[in-house]
Amino acid sequence: MADQFDSPVDVEADDQGLSGLAQMAVAVGIAVFMLAMLNAHALGAWADGLEPDARTARISAVAHGLADQAATHGLDGPRAALKQQWDRVKAARWPDQASGNQDQR
Amino acid sequence: MLFPTLDFGLFFLPVLLLVWTVGLASNEWRKIILLLASWVFYGFWDWRFVALLIASAAINWGCAQAIQRRLDDGRSAQPWLGIGVAANLAILGFFKYFGFFLEQLAPILARAGWGRDLPVLEIILPVGISFFTFQGMSYLIDIARRQTAPASFLDITLLMSFFPHLVAGPIVRASHLVPQFKAVPRLTRGMVATALMLICWGLFKKTVVASELATGLVDKTFFDPSAQTGLDLALGAYGYAVQIYCDFSAYSDMAVGLAALLGYRFPRNFDQPYRATSLQDFWRRWHISLSSWLRDYLYISLGGNRGGVWFICRNLMITMLLGGFWHGAKWTFLIWGALHGGVLAIERLWREWRPEGFPALPKPIAILIIFHIVVAGWIFFRADTLEGALAYFSQLWAFRPGLTLASPLLCGLIAFGLAIHFTPPTLLPALGRRVAAWPAPVLGLAVGLAILLTDAMRFEGVAAFIYYQF
Repeated sequence: MADQFDSPVDVEADDQGLSGLAQMAVAVGIAVFMLAMLNAHALGAWADGLEPDARTARISAVAHGLADQAATHGLDGPRAALKQQWDRVKAARWPDQASGNQDQR
Repeated sequence: MLFPTLDFGLFFLPVLLLVWTVGLASNEWRKIILLLASWVFYGFWDWRFVALLIASAAINWGCAQAIQRRLDDGRSAQPWLGIGVAANLAILGFFKYFGFFLEQLAPILARAGWGRDLPVLEIILPVGISFFTFQGMSYLIDIARRQTAPASFLDITLLMSFFPHLVAGPIVRASHLVPQFKAVPRLTRGMVATALMLICWGLFKKTVVASELATGLVDKTFFDPSAQTGLDLALGAYGYAVQIYCDFSAYSDMAVGLAALLGYRFPRNFDQPYRATSLQDFWRRWHISLSSWLRDYLYISLGGNRGGVWFICRNLMITMLLGGFWHGAKWTFLIWGALHGGVLAIERLWREWRPEGFPALPKPIAILIIFHIVVAGWIFFRADTLEGALAYFSQLWAFRPGLTLASPLLCGLIAFGLAIHFTPPTLLPALGRRVAAWPAPVLGLAVGLAILLTDAMRFEGVAAFIYYQF
């Protein structure tokens, strides 16, 4: 049994190459950039939820502009395809199961 | 502000940047940035309670100084320890239990003709109050026991406000975190890799598994058990067992991961609890920071194992009843605590009086029995009222045939949530070591892909974590 103060992040790994800090900076930067490109619509949806005023209107315009650009280049395709597949899995029912549970989402 | 939201992402990234730029030059500034960020995070719920958080930290800091002075003078720490613990309990008691006691008192006073004079107070429960008050109490007790030294006002305020664990734990003790605050932390590649994996894994467990099960199955079965079939109710109970694990452990995973990216190590809070072979084993694996808190500060204070078997059983029962009450002022939580306390006491009696040579249960059977005891407890824990819990059991017993709610996906998620308890315990560190060796761009692409996948599968919107209400 693990000690109560053991941390799951206490992983001894080879610290060759980039330092931990540089590793994190590059990894987080790339992940954020990737999500901003492939999931730009989330930024638009987030901006829509802001309280409307002149400042948030500008934020919303930028967010939606980015989402539109991403859609124009087909960057939202992978997420949309994944979501479509997942929705199909969600809609599946057992052979004799009533379909009265379609309002799950 | 919930972890699995863009709001939180947009809050966390600048904090991360500031902490690893400004914070590298000065550790004091680093802590001030984290403290201000924590108050902003908490203020998203209600700014007024930031003052409560600061007041609570100030009380604990002051009492700690007074306790230490008395210890240095060779006097008893009891008076200031008593004041400090009472102050923490008063804060917790007022916000969490005042309404409950008033509710219980009302019919009694009404019968005596005094009911009309009872004040009607709508008390809002500050998020995470049970966690930061417990943290404050353990800090004072540790100082009185000479297990830790008093921290500076900045350190103790940051300990109690630190946003990754502020609202739902893990309950990180001063003796564990304050020493980490004293120096600029260092990130290792293993820490970064494991932290990012934990954050992605937590996101998936919360937004896909827990949310899907809650909305598609559990909420419906508990809302009106009489309208459901027996199989749906059984799957609803198993579903809640998976939901609460995937919800709470997801919060802990993300808390551990976020703290690690900021350079701090939080203890593990879950260790595959549904593979426990006894209830005692379950409590070594479930909400470890709370169960070890209850053991170290309540069970041991009650006398622990120092006494006869009935004395030990009494201590177990009191500890679990109070553990149940800690979750909230409801009879259902008390019964949940009593069930756990009762079974722990029976286990203890069995260990004491088990006939020599009596064969032990095969491990899979023991796991199955303990799992079902835990699930029975979860029905009380989840039900809104005692009547609701009893209705659930009676409908389950009646076992109306058919299956209407549990779709193949929901059954698959229940199976998945249970199956992850039987992966090798060394899987995470092994994966962490492997991922740490990846080049940073590959790690970044993998994290982006994991979040994208989760986002495509996640439920619209995010419900608050179950443990936020505690």
